[in-house]
Amino acid sequence: MNAPDRYERFVVPEGTKKVSYERDTKIINAASFTIEREDHTIGNIVRIQLHRDENVLFAGYKLPHPLQYKIIVRIHTTSQSSPLQAYNQAINDLDKELDHLKNVFEAEVAKHARE
Amino acid sequence: MEGASYQRFPKVKIRELKDDYAKFELRDTVTSMANALGRVMIAEVPTIAIDLVEIEINSSVLNDEFIAHHLGLIPLTSDRAMGMPFSLDCDACDGDGQCEYCSVEFHLRAKCIIDQTLDVTSKDLYSSDHTVVPVDFSDSSGSEIHINEDLMQTLTLEEKRSWVESSPTRVFDIDPNTKQVVVVDPEAYTYDDEVIKKAESMGKPGLVDIYAKEDSFIFTVESTGAIKASQLVLNAIEVFKQKLDAVRLSEDTVEADEQFDELGAHMRGG
Repeated sequence: MNAPDRYERFVVPEGTKKVSYERDTKIINAASFTIEREDHTIGNIVRIQLHRDENVLFAGYKLPHPLQYKIIVRIHTTSQSSPLQAYNQAINDLDKELDHLKNVFEAEVAKHARE
Repeated sequence: MEGASYQRFPKVKIRELKDDYAKFELRDTVTSMANALGRVMIAEVPTIAIDLVEIEINSSVLNDEFIAHHLGLIPLTSDRAMGMPFSLDCDACDGDGQCEYCSVEFHLRAKCIIDQTLDVTSKDLYSSDHTVVPVDFSDSSGSEIHINEDLMQTLTLEEKRSWVESSPTRVFDIDPNTKQVVVVDPEAYTYDDEVIKKAESMGKPGLVDIYAKEDSFIFTVESTGAIKASQLVLNAIEVFKQKLDAVRLSEDTVEADEQFDELGAHMRGG
């Protein structure tokens, strides 16, 4: 009766932004990104990628509630970078890694087909 | 954009590849990537299935909703799925879900005129799109093990045999020529610690060291046949990239941040 509809997991309602960003008022170079209609699939991999950045002092994500389909990613960086930069960099690197994975996999499939 | 790229370069090695089954190794990447890829394959790669059933006549022994439910479970060949919009998102029919771009229509007609039970299967479903048909149902990361050789040499052959046998799965064996304990099948190891406990009880702790490799994974992908297993993995990577794209920061938040930055600097007296 109270269960949310299945499509709520991925349909962003009108007027809500997919990604929003809130700087921390008290700590410099710290921000929280709220990503609507996403879950651990994105959260965990982005967080791990952020850890690889040496300018990132803190990176974590959480699901405020399992029935509210959004994640909050919190990033603190050194003054050499900014949370925004770190976030974009992480996503770009993941994108490149996936491109590489796709090429490697396609090559393997072709190679396998030939044998 | 300053800063080096912190990208990884994963490697893939395919072990088995059939139409509906793929087994491959994924190396040089993190658990998160393997996990995320698996999650996307299970939940986010689009496939086509029967969603709405309109029943004109049903005088069979199975009731309407039973038939409708089971029709929904039939796997349909979904090569078109990646290029099709979801019914909710379809512009042509405005979310109606009945147009040619976002849906496929099937017809099922069966009448039993003989004295025996008539079998009605997915072969009796006629599709409006010949590339979307029921799947033709007529026709499967390692561990590292190190043996402490010096300590192993202090054991008699009998002791070695009893140690090798203490493992519930056949991981080790005694080489008939050299009479040494060798690792036969590291992947058979189920992390049960039996061999470790046996070594300790024999008074030889540290006889063997076993740890899991943290950066290689063995993927087993079994598909219903709706999409070929290899295509499923490629679709998953594509969907994953689309998700990452959706999550990028838009231009206006970046601008708002810069304005805030100036205001902040101004307020701090900068």
